Amino acid sequence: MESVLQEIVTRAREKAPALKSRPEFEAFKASYVGPKGELTAQMKELGKAPREQKPVLGKLVNAAKQQLEEIFEQTLASLDALEMAARMGEQIDPTLPASDALGGTAHLLTQIRREATDVLRRVGFVVAEGPELETEWFNFDALNTPLNHASRDAQDTLYLPENFTASNVKRRASERYLLRSHTSTVQIRTMLARKPPLAIIAPGRCFRRDTADATHSANFHQLEGLYVDARVTVKDLKAVLDLLVRELLGKHFKTRLRPSFFPFTEPSFELDVISPDFGKLSNRWLEIGGCGMVDPAVLSACEISPQKYSGYAFGFGLERIAMLRTGLDDIRLLYQNDLRLLRQFA
Amino acid sequence: MKISYNWLSRLVDLEGIDPAQIVERLPMAGIEVESVESTGLVALSNIVVGEVLEKEQHPNADKLSVCKVLTEKDGSPRQIVCGAKNFKVGDRVPVALPGAVIPGGFEIKQAQLRGVESGGMMMSARELGLGDDHSGLLILEQRPDIGTPINEVFGEGDTVLTLELTANRGDCLSHIGVAREVAAIFGKKLKLPEQKISAKTQEKPAADALVRGVVLESDNCPYYTGWSIRGVKIAPSPEWMQRDLQRVGLRPINNVVDVTNWVMYETGQPLHAFDAKKIGGQTIVVRQAKEGETILMLDGKARALSPEMLVIADAQKPLVVAGVMGSVDAEVDEHTTDIFLESAWFNPGNVRLSAKALGVSTDSSYRNARDVNPQATVSSALRAVELILETAGGEFLQPGVVVGTPPRGDVRIDIDGDTVRERLGFDVDDATIKTVFESLGFFVKEAAQGWTVTVPAFRGEVTRPIDLVEEFLRIYGTEKIPPAPVCIAAIEQQDDPLEGVLSRLNALMVGQDFSECMHYTLVDGEKVRRWYEKEGGDALALDNPLNGEQSHLRPSLVMGLVEALALNRNNGNDPLKLFETGRVFRIRQDKQATELVCCAFVMPQKSLSRSWQARTEPDFYSAKGLLTKMAQAVQVPARTLMFENLEAASWQNGHSAQAGSWQRDGWQARVGVVNAALAKQCAVDDIVFAAEIVFTAEFLKRKRTAVRYQPFSAFPSSTRDVALVVDKSLSAEAARKDVLKAARAAVDKTFALDAVELFDVYQGKGLPEGKKSLAFALVFRAEDRTLTDEEVKAAFDKVLAALSQNDNYTLRS
Repeated sequence: MESVLQEIVTRAREKAPALKSRPEFEAFKASYVGPKGELTAQMKELGKAPREQKPVLGKLVNAAKQQLEEIFEQTLASLDALEMAARMGEQIDPTLPASDALGGTAHLLTQIRREATDVLRRVGFVVAEGPELETEWFNFDALNTPLNHASRDAQDTLYLPENFTASNVKRRASERYLLRSHTSTVQIRTMLARKPPLAIIAPGRCFRRDTADATHSANFHQLEGLYVDARVTVKDLKAVLDLLVRELLGKHFKTRLRPSFFPFTEPSFELDVISPDFGKLSNRWLEIGGCGMVDPAVLSACEISPQKYSGYAFGFGLERIAMLRTGLDDIRLLYQNDLRLLRQFA
Repeated sequence: MKISYNWLSRLVDLEGIDPAQIVERLPMAGIEVESVESTGLVALSNIVVGEVLEKEQHPNADKLSVCKVLTEKDGSPRQIVCGAKNFKVGDRVPVALPGAVIPGGFEIKQAQLRGVESGGMMMSARELGLGDDHSGLLILEQRPDIGTPINEVFGEGDTVLTLELTANRGDCLSHIGVAREVAAIFGKKLKLPEQKISAKTQEKPAADALVRGVVLESDNCPYYTGWSIRGVKIAPSPEWMQRDLQRVGLRPINNVVDVTNWVMYETGQPLHAFDAKKIGGQTIVVRQAKEGETILMLDGKARALSPEMLVIADAQKPLVVAGVMGSVDAEVDEHTTDIFLESAWFNPGNVRLSAKALGVSTDSSYRNARDVNPQATVSSALRAVELILETAGGEFLQPGVVVGTPPRGDVRIDIDGDTVRERLGFDVDDATIKTVFESLGFFVKEAAQGWTVTVPAFRGEVTRPIDLVEEFLRIYGTEKIPPAPVCIAAIEQQDDPLEGVLSRLNALMVGQDFSECMHYTLVDGEKVRRWYEKEGGDALALDNPLNGEQSHLRPSLVMGLVEALALNRNNGNDPLKLFETGRVFRIRQDKQATELVCCAFVMPQKSLSRSWQARTEPDFYSAKGLLTKMAQAVQVPARTLMFENLEAASWQNGHSAQAGSWQRDGWQARVGVVNAALAKQCAVDDIVFAAEIVFTAEFLKRKRTAVRYQPFSAFPSSTRDVALVVDKSLSAEAARKDVLKAARAAVDKTFALDAVELFDVYQGKGLPEGKKSLAFALVFRAEDRTLTDEEVKAAFDKVLAALSQNDNYTLRS
C-alpha cells in the first residue's frame, strides 16, 4: 500500500504543472480526493486492513493526503497567477500616451484671487461676500458719494429699470437697483452686520459702463480689504499693502502711496508699484489699486463711532494683477475662454 | 486743465525749480499730470520783425501778392511774394530772411515765385511753431521794432502741463490754485497780483446803470454780482494775453471775451460778459428755465431748456444757461460798447445737471460744477474790470451790484498734533505739522489744546480734522511713512460660507478634468429670450445698457459655456470639459429678481481629437453623477436630491432632469442634454451634456443639525433579487419605491432592510413591446444575528406576493 500511495503522489506531482484551467484542476483534484478518487479508494482500503496495521497505514494515508493537498494548493496558486496574467494582457509600452492626461485648470483670475486671499488670511483677514446686484444706497450713499457725483451717472454705472425689484437685496427707500461698481459695498454690508474689530476681504465681480477694449471690460474683479479697529493708522495701511505686493508681485517691487481722492476714504491714495526687474515695465511706476483711511462719514453711516474707531480700506483689480504678472495684454482674453489661454496657467 | 509754467512763474517764485521738478512732485501731492508739452519759440536765427510798406497784386497769380517789406531800420525794403490775405500795409509780421531755417527744417532762399523775385518769407503762427493758426500771417500787434530778432519778441518757450484733477480739487482749476500747491510743495512764496481797483457795491443798481435791476429767483444762485463798463472798444486782445490763452488751449476772440477767459484761468472764477444793450428791459433775472424755452447757444446750436436748469434771463428770454454757456442773443461782438460783467456762484450740482442734460461741457461748467470759491467772486470780477479798462478802454460805472451772500466762507478746525500722529501711526513734531498747514495758506492759531486752523474758502473741501491730516500727509510726503510689520488684532470671525463652497466646487471640477471659464455677466437680450423667455428672462433687462450685446443679466452659465464650446472646437481644442461658477439672475413667480450662485458644466458627447485608445463617451448618467457630487459640495442633503423629468426651452425634452426648486428649497439642480437647436445656433453640432446647480446665499447660511452616529450590524447581509416587467414609461424610482415599501412591510421590524438597489434595466428580445424589466437587489440584515435562509425566504416571498398584487408589475422569473 505504501508504494501505491507513493506512486499516487508522484503522479499527481508530475501531472499538476500541465493543468491550464480551473475545470481541468477540478477534474484533476476529483481524480484523487473525489468520491471515486484514487486516494479515496486507498482510504476505503484502509478500513479493510487488519487492525494491528491500521495505525501505520493510517499515518501513511494521512501523509499522502497532506502531500496531495499541498500540490493542490500550489497548483491553484499558479493557476490564479496565470489567470491574472491573462487578464493583464500584453506587456505595456511605457512610452505610449496616457489617456487624456490634460487635467482641468482653475481660471487665472481664480488663481490670483486665491493667492491674494491666502496671503491676507494669513494675517487675520476673512473672506466676506455680497451681492453683485446692489442698491444705490449701498453702492453710493453709504460710501459718502454725493448725489451729484459723476460716478452715479447713467453713463458710468449700470442701472436696472425703475420698477425692478430684487427679492434678496432689500432697499432702504425707493433707490434704484444697480450693478455694483466696486466691491466696497461689501464693506458696508459687513459693518452693518457686525461691529469692530473686523478685518475682511471681499473679492468679487464689479461692473462699469465701459466700452470694451484691451484694458476695459464690462465686468471685472476687485479684491477689497477693510480693517476697522481702535487706532488703525496710515502706517498699518502701508504695511499690509507692502505685504500684498511683495507676495503677489515679488520682493523686488517697491510701493508708494500717491495722494488721490475717493469719497469713501480720507486720506485717499493710489497704490503704485515699481520694480527694477520687470521687463518692459521696469523702473516705471504702475498704478495697481486705490486705498485710504475709511472716511469718518462711512463709519457713521454704518453706525460705528468714528471717535472710537478708525480703519483702512484698499481695493485692486484682479485682472490688472493677472495681466501684470503674466504679460497678458488684452483683458478681453480673460473672458474669451480659449483653452489655449486657460491651460497656460494650469 | 492746462497750466503754463511761465504764467505760473508770475504767481509763485519758481527760482531754481524747473518744469520737470513740478511734473515730478505734483502727482505725489495728489495732482496728476496727464501730459507735458513744450511750446513757444525754439531758438531761430535770421527771422526778424518786418513792416509791410507796400502790397500789390502778383502779375501772374491771383492768390499771391508782391510786397515791399522793411526788415532793417535804416536799410532798404526787400521784395517778398506772399500768399496770405489777412494783413495790410503797415502791419508788422515775422519775416524769415534768406538763410533762415524755419521750424520743420525748411531753408529759406532767395527765389523766383511765378516769375517775381522773392527775398524771404512772411510767416504764420504755425510756421513759427506757435500753435495751429495758419489762417494768415502772425500780425505782431505790439509793433516791436523793425529788425528785432523774433526770439526777442516772444521771449523763451514755455512748458504746458495738462493736469487731471480729482473731483475734490476744483481749486486747482486756475493758475493761482496750482501756484498755491507749488508754493506749499516747494516752500516758496506766492506772488499774487495786487488788486488795483476797488469798488463800491450795493444791491440795487444805480438809476443810471446799464442794468436797472438784478433779481435772484432761484436757490440755485445764492450770490450774484454784476459790473458795468461803458464805452469799450472791441478789438483783439494784447499779444501777451493771446499767447497765454493759446498756451492753455484757448482761442483768442476779442479783448473783452479774452479778459474773462484769462481771469478764469488765473483765478478759477468763470465770468460772463454781456453786451449790455442786448439785455432786454435792462433787467437780469436769475431763475429756473420755463417749459418750452429754447436758447441758441454760442456754439451755434439751439437747445431746449427744462425747468431743472438755472438761467440768466433778461425781462423776456434766457440769455445764459447759468454757469454753462451763453446765447448769441447777448453776445459781445465787434459793435459792443457797453459791458455788463457777471461773476456769480451757482449750485455746483445744478450746473452739472444742466451741462449734462444739454450735452455740453465748457470751461465754465467744468469749474462751476466743482464749487468755485465764493470769496473770490468779487475780486475776480474786479481783476477783469481792471484788464478790460486796460485793454478795451471804457468807463467803470460804480457802484457794482452784489445780490445775496456767499454760500460759504472760511472754516475753522480745531486739531492738535496728537490727532495727526494717531491717524498717521508715526512720529512727526508739532512744528513740522504747523509749517505744512501754513505753507498751504491756512492760518494756524495756538489754542488751549492744540491749534485752531482757519482754512480759507478757496479750499472748500477741507472742513474736518481728518481733512487736515490728509493735507498734512500729502505735502509732508507719503514716502516718509515708515515700513512696518502687518499688525492686526486676533479677531474671532470666519469666512463667508460661500468661500468654502466655491473652493470645494472648484477643486471638484478641476479634479474631474474640467477647465474653468469666466464669461460676462451681461448678455444679449435676444439670446436670453431664446433660452429663457418662459422663465421670465425678459425681466432681466438693464435700464441703460451700453449696447445690445450687454443688455440683460445672465440667467444661466450654460449659455456662455456652450458658446465657449463652439469657440474651442473651432480652434481645435480637445477634449472639452468646461465649467464655470458665478452669479446668475432669475425671476420668481412674484416677478421679483433673485441673485443666485451657480456652478455649471458642459461636455460634448464626441471628442474630435483622435486617441490610440477608445474613449468612454459621457452620457446623461455620467453627467448626473458629476452633478450629484456638485450638490454634495454645496451640501444639499442627499435624500432631497430627487430628480424628475425637466421640460424647459433650453434643455432637450426627454433627456433632461431636475431636482429641487430654488424658490422653494433655496437650490435647484438641472442636468441633461442642451436643447439641440439652441446648441446648433451656437455652432455646436453635437450632443452637449450639461448640468448646473444654483443656490441662494441664504441656503448656505441655514441651520444644520449635527450628524449623529448610526450603529451598524456586524453580521452578514443576505441578498435576494427580483425582476419586474413594467411599462416602459414607468420611472425606475417609482418601481423602486414600491419594492422598498413591500420589503419594509415584509420584514416588519423583525430585522432590517439595508437597501433596495436597482442593478439591471433591460428591454428588447424576450419582453413584450412597450415593456422593460427592472431588477432590484434587496439586502436584508439583522443587527443581532446572521439571518437564516428560512426567515429571509419568508420575507422575500411576502415581497413577491405583495408585488404580484400590483397591476403595474409582472414578476419576471
